[in-house]
Amino acid sequence: MSEYINLLIGIAMGLNLLALGSSRLPTLIMAVALQGMALGLMPLLMETEADWRLVLVALATVAGKGLLIPTLLRKAMRAAHIDREVEPFIGFVPSLLLGAGGTIAAVALARSLPLLPEHSGSLLVPGSLASVFTGFVLLIGRAKAISQVCGYLILENGIYLFGLLLIHYTPLMVEAGILLDVTVGVFIIGIIVDRIQRAFDSLDTRKLTALRE
Amino acid sequence: MPGLFLLVAATGLGASIAFGPRCARLWLGLTLVGTAAALTAALGVLTGTPEWTWRSGFLVGGEALYFRLDGLSAWFLVLVSVVGGLGAVYSREYWSDAHNPASAPRGRAWWSALVLSMGLVLLCSNGLHFLIAWEIFALAAYFLITLDRAQRAVRTAGWVYLAASHAGTVCLFAFFGLLAAHTGGWELGPLRDPGELKPLFWLALAGFGVKAGLFPLHIWLPSAHANAPSHVSAIMSGVAIKMGIYGIIRFSGWLPVPATAGWVVMGLGAVSAVLGIAFALAQNDLKRLLAYCSVENIGIILVGLGAALLGRAQGNAAWGRLALAGALLHVWNHGAFKSLLFFGAGSVVQATGTREMSRLGGLWRALPWTTALFALGVLAVCGLPPLNGFVSEWLVYLGLFDAATQRAASVWAALPAAILLAMAGAMALAGFAKAAAVVFLGAPRTQAAERAQECGGLMRSPMLVLAGGCVILGLAPMLFWPTLARAVGSWNPNWTAGAAPAPLTALSAAQIAVALLAGGAGVWLWRKVRGNGLRRALTWDCGYAGPTARMQYTSASFAGIVTGWFGWLLQPERQLRRPRGPLPAAASEFVRVPETVLERVLGPVGTCVMRVSETALRLQQGRLQAYILYVLAGLIAMGMLVLLGGQP
Amino acid sequence: MSLRLILDLIARLALWLLLAPLLPGIINKVKAWVAGRRGPPVLQLYYDLARLWQKHAVLSTLASPGFVIGPAVAWVALAGAALLMPLGPAGSALSFRGDMLLLIYLLALARFCTAWAAMETGSAFEGMGAAREVSFAVLAEATLITALLALCVQTESTSLVTMLAPAAGAGAVLLAAGLFTVLLAENCRVPFDDPNTHLELTMIHEAMVLDHSGPPLAVILHGAALKLLLFSLFLTEAVLPLGQLSTLAATGALVGGVLAVTVGVGLVESLLARLAFRRVPLLLTTAFLLCLFALLMAWKGGAE
Repeated sequence: MSEYINLLIGIAMGLNLLALGSSRLPTLIMAVALQGMALGLMPLLMETEADWRLVLVALATVAGKGLLIPTLLRKAMRAAHIDREVEPFIGFVPSLLLGAGGTIAAVALARSLPLLPEHSGSLLVPGSLASVFTGFVLLIGRAKAISQVCGYLILENGIYLFGLLLIHYTPLMVEAGILLDVTVGVFIIGIIVDRIQRAFDSLDTRKLTALRE
Repeated sequence: MPGLFLLVAATGLGASIAFGPRCARLWLGLTLVGTAAALTAALGVLTGTPEWTWRSGFLVGGEALYFRLDGLSAWFLVLVSVVGGLGAVYSREYWSDAHNPASAPRGRAWWSALVLSMGLVLLCSNGLHFLIAWEIFALAAYFLITLDRAQRAVRTAGWVYLAASHAGTVCLFAFFGLLAAHTGGWELGPLRDPGELKPLFWLALAGFGVKAGLFPLHIWLPSAHANAPSHVSAIMSGVAIKMGIYGIIRFSGWLPVPATAGWVVMGLGAVSAVLGIAFALAQNDLKRLLAYCSVENIGIILVGLGAALLGRAQGNAAWGRLALAGALLHVWNHGAFKSLLFFGAGSVVQATGTREMSRLGGLWRALPWTTALFALGVLAVCGLPPLNGFVSEWLVYLGLFDAATQRAASVWAALPAAILLAMAGAMALAGFAKAAAVVFLGAPRTQAAERAQECGGLMRSPMLVLAGGCVILGLAPMLFWPTLARAVGSWNPNWTAGAAPAPLTALSAAQIAVALLAGGAGVWLWRKVRGNGLRRALTWDCGYAGPTARMQYTSASFAGIVTGWFGWLLQPERQLRRPRGPLPAAASEFVRVPETVLERVLGPVGTCVMRVSETALRLQQGRLQAYILYVLAGLIAMGMLVLLGGQP
Repeated sequence: MSLRLILDLIARLALWLLLAPLLPGIINKVKAWVAGRRGPPVLQLYYDLARLWQKHAVLSTLASPGFVIGPAVAWVALAGAALLMPLGPAGSALSFRGDMLLLIYLLALARFCTAWAAMETGSAFEGMGAAREVSFAVLAEATLITALLALCVQTESTSLVTMLAPAAGAGAVLLAAGLFTVLLAENCRVPFDDPNTHLELTMIHEAMVLDHSGPPLAVILHGAALKLLLFSLFLTEAVLPLGQLSTLAATGALVGGVLAVTVGVGLVESLLARLAFRRVPLLLTTAFLLCLFALLMAWKGGAE
């Protein structure tokens, strides 16, 4: 079982790098969507007995992160006529190398953390740290609001992964609540994106430094 | 027996210093005798004669003379004597009395002094005498670099060299002084016990590192090597910087080193290799390119040494021995091919009067010998089989790969080092493909390049000897293994015994096969083309009817892709005048790559210091009244200090 | 013993020389099939080579003998590298510790000689091609060395025969993807270079050989085919556990693997467009990272 979990986390880590290296917004959104789906399946694999609430939350996560949010983002992109090119502050090759270095560092760091023995062989913690780091790199190194949303989602995925460590102790309703928060957050960002577009004729966050009445 | 030869060598070189300014022929003879005697002594020690030591009652500076020639110093002495002798021959034509009546006599004397002092550095086994010899060596090198004193660039390069060299020497003074204070005497030799000496290694690394030119300390190297006369560049780049390597290897062998030494040395080596060659790639000055490439090769040597330090620390692992063997062999190899390349560059400079690659081109027709020999040197420096550069790089790589496969703790150093070495190797290939092609191939870009004339026999024969050395070291490395093992053994006695841990015989069979087949195939294809019938025509150039020499790819454009990746470090200065309008005026692009560490880091720091000093200078007005005021102020200040601070 | 070695070498060389030109033919056939054309015969390259070998050559007035000798040396280097490659169940004729490094550096020698010959003509296009070739090779070489390190760490050996016998372990998929990308880059296929383009400004390898004709061009084309076969073999042997199969199965797997790689190249070439040059380093860095993670997985797999 833990092999499948590690495989899924490995895929998620690969998608982190894809997100860092992709120069097109649709690819970036797709990477985020796939990562969300992969991580949404995780609780099903981690629990030995299938609980209906668990299945429900997992399905909701997959649907929310894998289908709903990406669709919203794509819609926002189309509605606001955003150019599909990602504009990087940190170039693609440097951010890719940064992400890879962060992933390796996360694996190394996780070894020195005092983890429960059942989590020591798993990639849960490194995957979580790597995703958080990737999210930060995207948030810092990309100009467009949409790509920053993607960075935020990847960051959230990292936190979600960390939360899975505590799956036995956290009520699932809390998870569901977080999911709801994220979805609402993206809704709001979608609306803001539209407003920014109308106010500034551009979605370039660099221009937000010039405040308007 | 080595003692006798060394006596002859010292006498010969000493006499050649005296006769150098007056009689050029006698000087050449004496220098050759001296270097040949030194070579014989060194080879004797390397091939079986026991290590030679000689202690005299004669005191210099209050210390008894103590000389020692063991495997390690003999290994470096071979390099000193070979390049010292060959450079002397080369300089007779390249820097002759006829062309440089003022500086040539002086240059001869300093040349002998340089060779002699480097020999003394290798022999001295007393810290005080080592320092004296080191200082003479530094000064002789300074006077050789500034032979052509009339040029401003040369004088600047000389000053930078002298300043950097003395900054390093300060570290060495501290190193030897602290060493003497700890051990109670100036005499040097293997010291294993005292653990408190370990931190001294960092002083030695900094002091010798400046001379070796490892990456952040290399600031003096490019301009000094580029502006010196080419035979001086050859010995500076091929031999003199190896004295720094000798120092690091010597004292890491004799003294206990900190646990992190191997990691640091390997890291510095890998960084030097990649960044050195990145700078080399961006150069437009042929000799500056060669100089930066020396930084790369020093990096390769240091990677090997770092692996050896790690291997020794981890129970004398065999891979450490392989890496050290590779590093030491690379010392010879780099000495051979870099001297060859600088001699070749000297031939180009003599023929055309410029070092700028964008003013050269198409020299193969006028300089066939130089082209062929330079091409051989280029193949060697890129580490391509079947020449010598490959053998030593292969040994270093094999040491790193073995460290990785045996899952030693040092794998986290070995893996990145191997990958960075691969990158540096491929970048060296790019850089030298550019250098050789832009200088020697295509069409001449200027009149000077068109009217070039081949060098004479005195310049050609040293190049031929060095090229022969490159070929032999490449094709028959196993012949040199016993001597190499001796040098390795005198660094770490635990690594003395045993056969070669690498399949050198198989490698050499493969190398010979490649060499023979490549030669055969080349001749065969040429004959086939001639047999089929061949026609000469204008370069096709995709149908363009009137290609000119100025349409050729230049060195900056050739290197543009890779230098773009390293733009954060190289910070090229660009001046671009674009063609504008329907009838554009002259357009131009000028790119210059500064020596970043010197001009962007040390320069501003120096300016800052100067500014502070200038502010302080205002205090010095030359008026008596002002000084009396200072005295009064000082007195009051001291009084206040006593009054306030002195009370219990 | 030594006679056997020589006979073995000659047999291998003959096999390599005869089979190599098949691969470009297969690629072209696949491309034609995807595009719905009939396409040139699979043996087209053989006809081309035979024809070129008989033709007389046109040399640039600027070119030195190095213009002809360069391709010859490059070809020898590639053939030498090919002879170092073990052939699945047949093993290797000449194997020693560290032979994989000789292989890498023989490829570098071939690259240098091709670039040298390209620069002989003083043509801007050929300079452009040579500059691109040697620059992108920096990343490709780092990737290859990383892949070799992964195999070395996985199998705890440093000679090609033992390195390539077992499967590549946990990181096989990553390694395969990385090596396939390097194969495309080093052999100048789409998406790095378009072998069929007619625009010299966008070419790499083809731009370097614009001025070659007659026998030297034949040698260059054959060398390129050798290199493609070499990389396909390397990829196949690195990923498949040929050492654990019976002779027949291993031979079949080897041939099948090489064919699969070739068809894969053809499909990539049909379905993808050439990348913009500024994107090439990104793709090569991705390949490098794939091999790097394969290396780390090999390291981790062995440690447990």
